[in-house]
Amino acid sequence: MAVVPPTSDLNRAAALVIEFRNVGKTYKSLLGNSVKAVEEFSLQVVEGEILGIAGPNGAGKTTIIAMMLGYLRPTKGTVEINGLPARVYVERNGIGYLSELIAIPPKWRADTALVRYATLAGIADAEIPTRVNEVIEKLGLAEHRDKKVKALSKGNLQRLGLAQALLRDDQILVLDEPTHGLDPVWTQRFRGIVEELRRPDRTILIASHNLDELQRLADRVAIIDHGRLQRVVSTGYEENAPTATRFRLTLAGGFDRIRESFPLAESAGRGEYDVTVRSIQELNAALADLMRRGGLVASVVPERSVLEQQFREAVGESQ
Amino acid sequence: MKRGRLGKYSLWQFRDFAIDRGIAILIIGLLWGYTLVEPLRRAMGSAFSMGPSSPAWPLLITVASSIVSLSVLIAVNGIVSADRKMGYYRFLFSKPVSAVAYYSQQFVVYLVGVVAAMLVLSGVLHTIVPDFSIVNYLLYTALIFVAMGGIGFFISVATRFDWLTLAAVWLGSRVLREFYGAKPGLPGKLVQLLPPVHKLNDVATGLITNGSAPTNDVIWLLAYGALFFVLGLVLLRQGSLAD
Repeated sequence: MAVVPPTSDLNRAAALVIEFRNVGKTYKSLLGNSVKAVEEFSLQVVEGEILGIAGPNGAGKTTIIAMMLGYLRPTKGTVEINGLPARVYVERNGIGYLSELIAIPPKWRADTALVRYATLAGIADAEIPTRVNEVIEKLGLAEHRDKKVKALSKGNLQRLGLAQALLRDDQILVLDEPTHGLDPVWTQRFRGIVEELRRPDRTILIASHNLDELQRLADRVAIIDHGRLQRVVSTGYEENAPTATRFRLTLAGGFDRIRESFPLAESAGRGEYDVTVRSIQELNAALADLMRRGGLVASVVPERSVLEQQFREAVGESQ
Repeated sequence: MKRGRLGKYSLWQFRDFAIDRGIAILIIGLLWGYTLVEPLRRAMGSAFSMGPSSPAWPLLITVASSIVSLSVLIAVNGIVSADRKMGYYRFLFSKPVSAVAYYSQQFVVYLVGVVAAMLVLSGVLHTIVPDFSIVNYLLYTALIFVAMGGIGFFISVATRFDWLTLAAVWLGSRVLREFYGAKPGLPGKLVQLLPPVHKLNDVATGLITNGSAPTNDVIWLLAYGALFFVLGLVLLRQGSLAD
């Protein structure tokens, strides 16, 4: 894991797809009051990358996404996709988009909503039934396909929103709080779906509060607060990168050996110990030593993931 | 990459119009027409059906033209603002579709829808008053849709309270023109910029009765509505879909 500069690319050989260049967005009221929602935001996203966007409520994530889709015009700077102004790109190519708020007219039926969106997406009449059935199956909506949108539960509505985003084979996918309202089973399945969607020529953006989700899915995570990009964190582990410092160790045997390998280990009861290390190397060396002495390690879990640590540092402990 | 199939989507737009607005227009038109015309028909007997020579003809024209104005108000209400207010634009315009093309098409589809609704209503009226020309009435409907609907379209792009604003603009223009229209000086000149609603009575009577109206008045009404429709499209292109 590493903190990387905002404009650095995970894969420098990959083509640049999305570029925010010094973007700012200020909302002005009729009374002349102004609120800066986004300030000096610069970020590059490359082909094949899954980029996470994390930030507390009101940080500016949704505004950034709205500018990326061309729904909002920046008051400063530019947003380009494949070298085109964002809105021009979307009008020509489309983007698979799941919004945070799933707004589909409540009187529409789930399956006809997908037929409508497929028509707008440019899918040929002959292909629409197949494509609609595929996404319905993929998102487990078969038993709800005849229901009106207003009759769908929050989780099913979320899945319908995701289904419409996956209708087309888009080069760019933008998922804003994709697991919001999903039960644990579908949260897990969603991760599988995103992994299936990963392709060298596809770029995926995921905005989420769920750092664990971003840690698992994203290659890099942009942390935003108060409308500013605070830092970009790479989620891949690197040898000399900063790591979590505190871990919870669960032992299934050899309990009396723990302090020989981790002298400062604190017992948390039921075979669990909290240990503090300075690096991955130190952790691995101590674990190897413990196992050599007869310790039986059941699990090693960081107290906070590195992403969580970075997030807390970036936005403050209060969040 | 394939572009969106907007032409095909017009069938869905027409279906939405029929269900959400068309039925309401037909019910309101029939009820309004019936409650205003039927008592007169009963009282006047066969004299009612005499066509333009009937004393009831001016009232018939007033009722018929009012139904058109109300129908246009119902049709263009929220034509753009509803999608923005409810957030429906998010999924619609993440597809390879231009908002300008989408709403231009929607405007045309709603024009066709209002004309179709007026075809039904005028068909009913024609059975009672055979001299009432369906074709002339539909021409008048199309003209008012462009004139009033164009302004309504612009307001729907510019504000979320479009039906209220359009009704206020439409009625306010009538009142202001009556007060200041003939007066000299700046107020008299400024009211000339307001929608040409003062031309409606003459145009309605001429167009519905004879199929003809003063060319200047027709052009003025059409041009005013068309200008605002285009301004609405420019605003849609230049502005933001989200708030």
